[in-house]
Amino acid sequence: MTAAAAPDGPPHGITGGGLLRRAFWRQRRRIALGMVLVSLHQLCEAMVPVVIGQVVDRAIAPSDRTALVVGIGAMVVLFAVLTYAWRFGARLIVAAEMNETHLLRVEVARRVLDPRDLDTDLRPGELLSLATSDADRAVDAVPAVSWVVAGVVGLVVSAVVLLRIDVLLGLVVLVGVPLVLGIVQLTTPLVARRTSDQQASLGRTAAAATDLVDGGRALRGLGAEEHAAQRFVASSQETLGLTLRAATWRGVSLGASTLLSGLFLAAVAATSGWFALQGRISIGELITVIGLAQFVAEPVALVGACLTAVAGALASARRLADLESLPHVAADGGAARGDGEPLTLRGLTYGSLTALDLDLARGELVGLVAHDQADTDALTTVLAGRARPVEVGGRVLVAGVPLTDLPVADVRASVLVEAHQVELFEGTVGDNLLLGRRDATAGQRDLALAASGADDVVASHPDGLERRLTDRGAGLSGGQRQRLGLARALLAEAPVLVLDEPTSAVDAVTEAQVADGLVDLRHADPDAATLVATHSPALLDRCDRVVVLAGGRVVAEGTHRHLLGTDPAYRSAVTR
Amino acid sequence: MTAPRVLLPVAGARQTAAGLGRALRAHRLAAVLTVVAFVTSAGFGLLAPLVLGGLVDDTLDGAGTETLPRTVVLLVVSAVGAGLALTAGVVLMSRVAESVLAGLREQVVTRALRLRSTEAEATGSGDLLSRVGDDVSVVTQAIGSTVPQVVQAGAVTVVTLGGIFGLDWRLGLAGLLALPVYVHGVRWYLPRSAPMYAAERRALGERAQALVGAMSGADTLRAYRAEADHVNRVNARSAEARDISIDVFHLLTRFGGSMNRAELVALSAILVTGYWLVDAGAITVGAATAAAWFFHRLFGPLGTLMMTFDSIQSAGASLARLVGVIDMPLPAEPASPARPRDAAVSIAGVSHAYDDGPLVLHGVSLDIEPGERVALVGATGAGKTTLASVVAGQLAASAGTVRVGGVTQDDLGDRGLRRQVALVSQDVHVFAGTLGADARLGRPDATDDEVLTALDRVGATGWVSALPDGLETVVGEGGRDLTAPQAQQLALARLVLVDPPVVILDEATAEAGSAGAHDLEAAAAAAVEGRTSLVVAHRLTQAATADRVVVMEAGRVVEQGTHDELVALDGGRYARLWRAWSDT
Repeated sequence: MTAAAAPDGPPHGITGGGLLRRAFWRQRRRIALGMVLVSLHQLCEAMVPVVIGQVVDRAIAPSDRTALVVGIGAMVVLFAVLTYAWRFGARLIVAAEMNETHLLRVEVARRVLDPRDLDTDLRPGELLSLATSDADRAVDAVPAVSWVVAGVVGLVVSAVVLLRIDVLLGLVVLVGVPLVLGIVQLTTPLVARRTSDQQASLGRTAAAATDLVDGGRALRGLGAEEHAAQRFVASSQETLGLTLRAATWRGVSLGASTLLSGLFLAAVAATSGWFALQGRISIGELITVIGLAQFVAEPVALVGACLTAVAGALASARRLADLESLPHVAADGGAARGDGEPLTLRGLTYGSLTALDLDLARGELVGLVAHDQADTDALTTVLAGRARPVEVGGRVLVAGVPLTDLPVADVRASVLVEAHQVELFEGTVGDNLLLGRRDATAGQRDLALAASGADDVVASHPDGLERRLTDRGAGLSGGQRQRLGLARALLAEAPVLVLDEPTSAVDAVTEAQVADGLVDLRHADPDAATLVATHSPALLDRCDRVVVLAGGRVVAEGTHRHLLGTDPAYRSAVTR
Repeated sequence: MTAPRVLLPVAGARQTAAGLGRALRAHRLAAVLTVVAFVTSAGFGLLAPLVLGGLVDDTLDGAGTETLPRTVVLLVVSAVGAGLALTAGVVLMSRVAESVLAGLREQVVTRALRLRSTEAEATGSGDLLSRVGDDVSVVTQAIGSTVPQVVQAGAVTVVTLGGIFGLDWRLGLAGLLALPVYVHGVRWYLPRSAPMYAAERRALGERAQALVGAMSGADTLRAYRAEADHVNRVNARSAEARDISIDVFHLLTRFGGSMNRAELVALSAILVTGYWLVDAGAITVGAATAAAWFFHRLFGPLGTLMMTFDSIQSAGASLARLVGVIDMPLPAEPASPARPRDAAVSIAGVSHAYDDGPLVLHGVSLDIEPGERVALVGATGAGKTTLASVVAGQLAASAGTVRVGGVTQDDLGDRGLRRQVALVSQDVHVFAGTLGADARLGRPDATDDEVLTALDRVGATGWVSALPDGLETVVGEGGRDLTAPQAQQLALARLVLVDPPVVILDEATAEAGSAGAHDLEAAAAAAVEGRTSLVVAHRLTQAATADRVVVMEAGRVVEQGTHDELVALDGGRYARLWRAWSDT
């Protein structure tokens, strides 16, 4: 059973409980059979003390060799059933759990990567924990409920055996065990509160450790490593204090539970001993009662622990359900692609943009100099289709058609925005280059590499294009990432390409080469339109036209040289 | 410039044990008391089946109910004793184990922070991070739950087996029959599980990579319409991890089966031996029953001991990796560190090669006056960063000396050098916590006013005053994201607070990238004001305003002089660079 084929779940209105019910329904075969088998296992566990009692009563006490052989044979059968029932039952339940977690994980990824973009403030770290720890914890409900069912079966069997021996004795055990566990449970919230304080503190300390070591270079540069170490020690000692407090409560809780179950055993022994000494029950029955009184605590505790786990699972399931219910950002229209000019902005308002008019003609390469970075960010957000339509005013036309009327796939195919912060992915350098065009030829690829100056990056490593990127390209310098990002963007050959400071991290000589390469490659296609936000004079000088933004609108326009001569603010922004 | 990957040291078994022993020594008494408490608790626990066995005998003997009160009183004593001793054991155990753990993690982080940059980089940040992250967490898990379980289960097992021997030595031998079955199971299981767990960890790592890529790179994937491919990748990685996890569990259930076999063998042997001994009149029926109960009570603790083999094993491996870092020798400090006369820097004949690689610096000599601002210019690979690292003392040069105020780096010592020379490098890091705490990293006693003044000096007042909680705003991982220029201003503010006489700036403004570039250059200029500074210049404007420009090529200084002198130099390298930069 693989998840690739799983259809998108209903996007709206699923609840945490609904998500869990769906989990059980999707895994119903495995869970049903698994439950039967683990219940059988619990039943056998319950029978072990019974068989011990029977062997003592029928074989050892009367010295009956035949009964001994029968008893041991029964024990062998019992253990065989017990062990195989657990092996196959637990496997089925764990397989159900793993499969469902996998499905949820992939569904989270699919939601996050929905082409229409998810309207959420959740940060990547939070999304990641939804796909990992929350998915794991939500599906904890599957084994938890299965063990509850098994525990109840064990309890019922024990109850039947006990009640058949003596109704009064049976009632003592069946009322006493939950009572004892209930009292012990009273301490759980106390322990749980301390434990969660401790866990939170431990998490902070662990995060501080990796954070400080990660920034170790900056610390050593300032000679601040000893101060940082002291800070970490303080955090670690705080965690130690909370851990010890939690451990004390856990110790008290464990001791109390040992004490109470011991006292309960004394009570059972007193009652059943009284009956046995008076001859009301047999010796085998005495042994069985005492054995079961100790055994019964196990399924009852199991039920209690599993109910707690189900509560935790529900909390995670709710978070996952919330994700499934989030709306999308992008409008997904049904209009056909137009054949107008590549990009037209009229009175665009969004974020810091107040009334932006901008035209991008076929074959044109326009430079964009924003005095305020916020204007560039707002514009790239709109063009990337990441702005909520209700917050965008004015008109954005892509090839003459309003952006929001087009299918989202067509918008992305028409307008490509390569962000300033280049994100790379696991895989080889070559895989990353082909992200937007898997069918590119080697010739096209080499052209894009040369134009962006990324051929150096490829040549600098013995594996070249086959070089595997670890940690999403963490081993590359800022300039290398930037040039790979640019090569990838050029290779995609989008009708409208939007770049944001594509040469900010490369040195002056390389920058001039990239400016030439980038402009020549885009101009090679007479229909390709390009918008480059940049402060690089080398790049601006090669642009057909430069647009200057201030206060959210266009304040000047012309060639680089013209603007240099006429606009002092422009000159001071781009000369260096 | 990439050094070969060497891993940080891993301690051998003896060294690891010694490290653990050292840590335990401070808690010797508590450790002994812990064991005493657990043994006492197990002993009291044993009393119950024994007393109940007596009850069985009393019943068989047809005794009256008058013996019952004694039985009940003993059971109550057993309950109270076992409960109290268990509480004492758990509390004492945590005192010992958690203190040892805190000491370990503190030592590891402290030592890791004092690694020289070159040591840290040669190994890649991955190894170091996984030690302070994953290894500490594995050991934490073991010490927090596995070790107490093992100690308690071990105490119960030893005491209970002793109890069975106490009833009759032949019953004890019968119980020991479980041993070879357990050993066989463990010897079957461990060699099979270790590679499977390794495969599982690897698969989980790959799954995490795919998920992180999907979550962090979602916008990029959408822009390139590569969402479906990436979902498929997540699906494939997740399915692979799932399949391995299921296989691991299959193995575990088979191991569980071998434990059941051991239980069956021992329980049957005890019952048969009991039958035989009762028949021979050597023991009472009650004693035989008690022996069976004893062993039935051992199922849980024995299972715990068997099931924790894995985590004890992996905790041991992680511990060896932690002790390996802790035991790394620190560079020797001079007995009496010399005091530099002023803030002059003198570089004499410095050459350097990374490991066995080619020379990347060829006898570089350079004298920097106190308060002078020198810009280092050159193409990538010219050796600028290497020279900066050598001067900052982050890298020990293969040959040559660097003096600060007339004192060599060796005579200054590591600590003395850090007080004199600070380095701000390109890879800025925003530390998690409040903005104020981050700025104070180099000078914890700085007042709020001093912090605000430092932030103002580097031009950060604008965005800092716009923050809702000012200096109390939580930044870094899990807090507010700072933009790259903001993070760099913060790094410069830290520098201003530390106030070192000599500053090395290594491309600290290179990534500014946009409208912020000007501000950052101004911030860097303000931060180095009044200090001797060596600035690795990426933007040539930084060079233009320096007192002196030093041009490097292929590990050598090829030109130096003021900006104007060098620009005027016909056919000079700097003049050519400057034209490429400005003449467009």
